[in-house]
Amino acid sequence: MKVLIIEDERAMASEMDTFLKKAYRCDLAVTGSQAISKLDDNTYDFVLLDLGLPDMDGLQLLQQARKICPDAAYIILTARGQLEDRIKGLDLGADDYLPKPFSLLELQSRMQAIARRKFALQDILIPVGDFNVDLQKRNVYFEQTEITLSRKEFDLLSYMLLHKNRPLTRTQLGEHIWSNFADDDYDSNYIDVHIKNIRRKLSAYAAVDWLQTIRHVGYKIKI
Amino acid sequence: MAVVILFVLVLPFLVEDIAYKYNDFYLREQKKKVLQVIRQNGIDAYLQGEENYGSYTMLKEEYISLEPAGKVMIPDTIATVQRVVEGDTLTYRVLSHVLTDHQRPFMLEVGKKTATISQYNRPLQRVALYVLGGLIIITILIDLIFTRLLLKPLGVIISTRLLNRRFPFREQASPVKTSTTDFKYLDDSLVELMTKINEAFEKEREFTTNASHELMTPVSILQTKMENLLVDLEPYEEPQKKILGMMKTLNRLKKIVHSLLLISRIENDQFPKNDDVSPRLLVASIMEELEHRLEEKQLHFSARLSPEQVLHHLNYDLIFQLVYNLLHNAIKYNRNNGSIIVNDELLPATYRLIITDTGIGIGPQEIDTIFHRFRKVQKGTVEGYGLGLSIARTIAQYHNIQINVEAMEGKGSAFILNFPLN
Repeated sequence: MKVLIIEDERAMASEMDTFLKKAYRCDLAVTGSQAISKLDDNTYDFVLLDLGLPDMDGLQLLQQARKICPDAAYIILTARGQLEDRIKGLDLGADDYLPKPFSLLELQSRMQAIARRKFALQDILIPVGDFNVDLQKRNVYFEQTEITLSRKEFDLLSYMLLHKNRPLTRTQLGEHIWSNFADDDYDSNYIDVHIKNIRRKLSAYAAVDWLQTIRHVGYKIKI
Repeated sequence: MAVVILFVLVLPFLVEDIAYKYNDFYLREQKKKVLQVIRQNGIDAYLQGEENYGSYTMLKEEYISLEPAGKVMIPDTIATVQRVVEGDTLTYRVLSHVLTDHQRPFMLEVGKKTATISQYNRPLQRVALYVLGGLIIITILIDLIFTRLLLKPLGVIISTRLLNRRFPFREQASPVKTSTTDFKYLDDSLVELMTKINEAFEKEREFTTNASHELMTPVSILQTKMENLLVDLEPYEEPQKKILGMMKTLNRLKKIVHSLLLISRIENDQFPKNDDVSPRLLVASIMEELEHRLEEKQLHFSARLSPEQVLHHLNYDLIFQLVYNLLHNAIKYNRNNGSIIVNDELLPATYRLIITDTGIGIGPQEIDTIFHRFRKVQKGTVEGYGLGLSIARTIAQYHNIQINVEAMEGKGSAFILNFPLN
């Protein structure tokens, strides 16, 4: 899938590129006019749009871009984070809105969610170890048996699965699950409690050695 | 007041004095009448051959007597003396007058019993007291009405400028109508003071908003760089640990900026207040988020909330955040095997939500500052950077919710939210 990153902060743009290019083909644009010429020449599946551009109002650019490339999914990225911006952006046809600073992992999982919804990608069962995970129905299976996980446990498992083979910190995991709240307990072990529960529930059926603890950092699903 | 008391004390003497003066006047009048009658009828008509004459009323209250007197001419005297009338010794106020008839001097005495003189003293005193009391009440009333009338502008100034204003003062205040220069001066000074406060507040808010936005971009760049770095460094444990430390610090910065932005947005009136909130469902959904935290410390949680209560004109997300922060603190600062109780009370114009915990409590020297921004908490292993309660207070103020704390150090605290019901 092809992604256009419109971001005037070059450092930011290149980090997004570094992260996303493992899964997507990325183009960069640092001004509004550059973005428009890229949109004219290419077809993109995703447009990541920073609202604070030097040469043009981000929301206007969104309107123009949607005329040129109506099938792409648009995600607004902004440091302004005003409520009106968010409402306006979504009104103008943006698919999602991510206030800065955001985690790249969060960006990717939003893109995945949009892809599933917008491009009607039929999720097949994702295998992990001896288990299968159905992201759509939010179920975990061992052979034909359905294993019941709590809502948070499933969120955690699917997030790690989405970012498999990548070490995830407790903060990153916590932020995804309780995104809206200023939670300042870094040393809290609530993520560990959930992981322990997931391991306990799954290990009743088969080994869960694919769910690894990374010393000092957090956890990783290795497959 | 002293004058009034002095008057009341002196009153009996005054009344008695007046009574005696009046009586003396009366005696003199009687004397004149007697002399006139004697002049008309001649003294012998009364003496009827006797040496002297005496006449008194039936109850011996008054008497008149004529007796031959010595040669000495004495002027009229009035004195309180004792007289024996028909065997009774009685005290009289007596006017003595010497008159001469055909070269014979006579002593005329006109007397009135002293008891009769003072018989009107008490009623007189009472009437005087009543009149005095009435006068005092009338004076006080007039004073009150007059002062109230005079001070009316002051009342208006206090109620419009100070009591009924909610910070920040958005609406432009119209000057209070008054012809008193001093009040005008006071009003102008207050308006000026509030304008200054408002300007300072606006500047601070603008700064917070701008600073937060400007900080967001570099924080984003750092965060993304570190996230990528963490993956690149995967096989190396030590550098990875350092990156993690940096990420934690950055995250803290991010949370602070987020919180400041939230506060400044609330103060900017950016949140509509159109939601209906059921406290029971609200607490239930917050606890769904927080349940996992109870396990950590084996806390016992119980909520006793009325199922029908619905609160109006609120912003659901903000109220969620407010109660979330309080419940979160109740968990965070609790002891192992402690408990948290949420209950409510319906008062005449207020709905009260009470969150009680068995945590570390709050010391008396800290209780006034817990809602201040960046209050540092350092109790044992728990450390906060002090924006949670500041956010809670901002949200409460935004909705006119009164937020109170009752706490005992080492025993626990209770946060009380008073929602206005109108």
